[in-house]
Amino acid sequence: MFASRSACRGASRAVRHPVQRRGLAAPASGSFQYQSGEAKGVKFASRDHASPTTTLALVSKAGTRFQPLPGLTEGLEKFAFRSTDRRSTLRIVRESELLGAELRAYHTRENLVLEAKFLRDDLPYFVELLGEVAASTQFKTHVYNEEVVPLIHLAHQKFLANPAEMAVNSVHSIAFHRGLGTPTASSSTIPYTKYLDTETIEYFSKLAYAKPNFAIVANGAEDGQLSNWVNQFFDNVPATVEAGATLGGLEPSKYHGGEERIAHASGNAYVIGFAGSSSFTGKFYKREIAVLGSLLGGQSSVKWSPGFSLLAQAKASPSTHVKTSSAIYSDAGLLYTVITGSANNVATTAEAAVKAIQKVAAGQITKEDFQKAKAAAKFKELEYGQDQSAGIVLTGNGLITGNKAYQIDEVAKAVDGVTEQSVKAAAKTLLESKASVSAVGDLFVLPYAEDIGLKV
Amino acid sequence: MSTPPLAKFILARPWLLKIVRPIANWHANAAGYRQLGLKIDDLTMEENEIVQLALKRLPPKEAYDRVFRLRRAMQLSVSHQLLPKEQWTKPEEDELYLDKYIKEIEEEMKEREDLEAMVITKRKANAKEGQ
Repeated sequence: MFASRSACRGASRAVRHPVQRRGLAAPASGSFQYQSGEAKGVKFASRDHASPTTTLALVSKAGTRFQPLPGLTEGLEKFAFRSTDRRSTLRIVRESELLGAELRAYHTRENLVLEAKFLRDDLPYFVELLGEVAASTQFKTHVYNEEVVPLIHLAHQKFLANPAEMAVNSVHSIAFHRGLGTPTASSSTIPYTKYLDTETIEYFSKLAYAKPNFAIVANGAEDGQLSNWVNQFFDNVPATVEAGATLGGLEPSKYHGGEERIAHASGNAYVIGFAGSSSFTGKFYKREIAVLGSLLGGQSSVKWSPGFSLLAQAKASPSTHVKTSSAIYSDAGLLYTVITGSANNVATTAEAAVKAIQKVAAGQITKEDFQKAKAAAKFKELEYGQDQSAGIVLTGNGLITGNKAYQIDEVAKAVDGVTEQSVKAAAKTLLESKASVSAVGDLFVLPYAEDIGLKV
Repeated sequence: MSTPPLAKFILARPWLLKIVRPIANWHANAAGYRQLGLKIDDLTMEENEIVQLALKRLPPKEAYDRVFRLRRAMQLSVSHQLLPKEQWTKPEEDELYLDKYIKEIEEEMKEREDLEAMVITKRKANAKEGQ
């Protein structure tokens, strides 16, 4: 009775509607290009490559940047895939397990992402599930108390135990103050459950899952089918944002810069950040920043060698970890280097890092290094494109903010056009502008930004 | 723990309800808990996991009021007294405040058991592929 009728209701729907089936060896019709469209006001993009699995995500403009009150994004994220009007938490989990799927919810600075990975045939079931989660999740007080709050506390503990994570969040808050600067994890600097209760989270969900504020992105799904199912299952989400209700952090990001030092007993992290490039879909896209990032680098992509990048060569010891990343957001970006390790090594490496940037600005880099950096940047971009889940967040965000998908081929092409001169000029502007520096750990040893030759 | 099955049977039949309601009202008054200022759900046996969990899920205000009523009733019982008549629980106040939580938990448990006992059949499309 239970098994045949209701437990697999969604699953059997997938069988009733004949779905196009494709084996492993069938030719791929798609490429890295996303096809985007709109169904009843819901934006979606899909990329059909010949894989037996699909990654489907609902990307919502509800990251920590846009939360009107602290902690709301995290609260809403932990409420994802909990009881809805039609199904209980347990049933959602069991049904997904039966279909062999994986459910995940996470947030970035700008986006809240509900993600499902599953076998290609089950597309309708999961489009329906995402529609249900968005439209009819029940925000019950006891679920909040029994299941959500403990998870938030755990995330908080995890955050506090990780100096590198703390430093990266601190550098963002120095660079952008509010909005993009809001920490992604519940940090101790704000009373993170003070503003939280089920009604506020429910109110926020109406904003986050309103049609103009989210997009559906799929990897490995056919455009026509996705459009068909999205058309059917998203009728119940709010069509517009309620009058008068707004997300926080909507004003354009402004770069500030500065320095913050936090004492921490269990590790050392030093982050040097500069104003970077926005996402390819945004307005302030600077292609040379990606190349500069990979030129500074720090991590090796081959075994048994520190790698070619300037910081990998300059780091004080093999046990010191250096990583340069270019964080790209819809209207701003941050190019930052994270250095972790023992306090003395971190201090020496931080100094060397600034010297390396000065070297790039002065044009004292070899042509080969530049070529290598360019190749590495391009490779990273394309390799990222082959990854199933890659580009989902970027594409979703691009659709919401500018109605433009994140086309990896085009980004890779843009990297090709970067010249040595433009990288040199970019490095120069970095040094002239204010840096954002954050030191977490043994503050007796870790240097002040001014001491290592940065303007803050 | 929640409403006994007989109640459901009666509630489904309006004519029967009409007959039984006066008797039920008389019984509720005669049971004596209203005279101690208690509500019907204060009498629910709480020494089991389901009701314990339901009690945890009560909103703070209701949980506080419940404890207040119980302590007041205990005090009255010890001193062999009844409340003054104007403080007796009025029939319209005598509501089932805990029942919905208990039902919800029972449903959750039943669903879990049903899912544990589920028999899985392969989808037709996949079953063919396997042969």
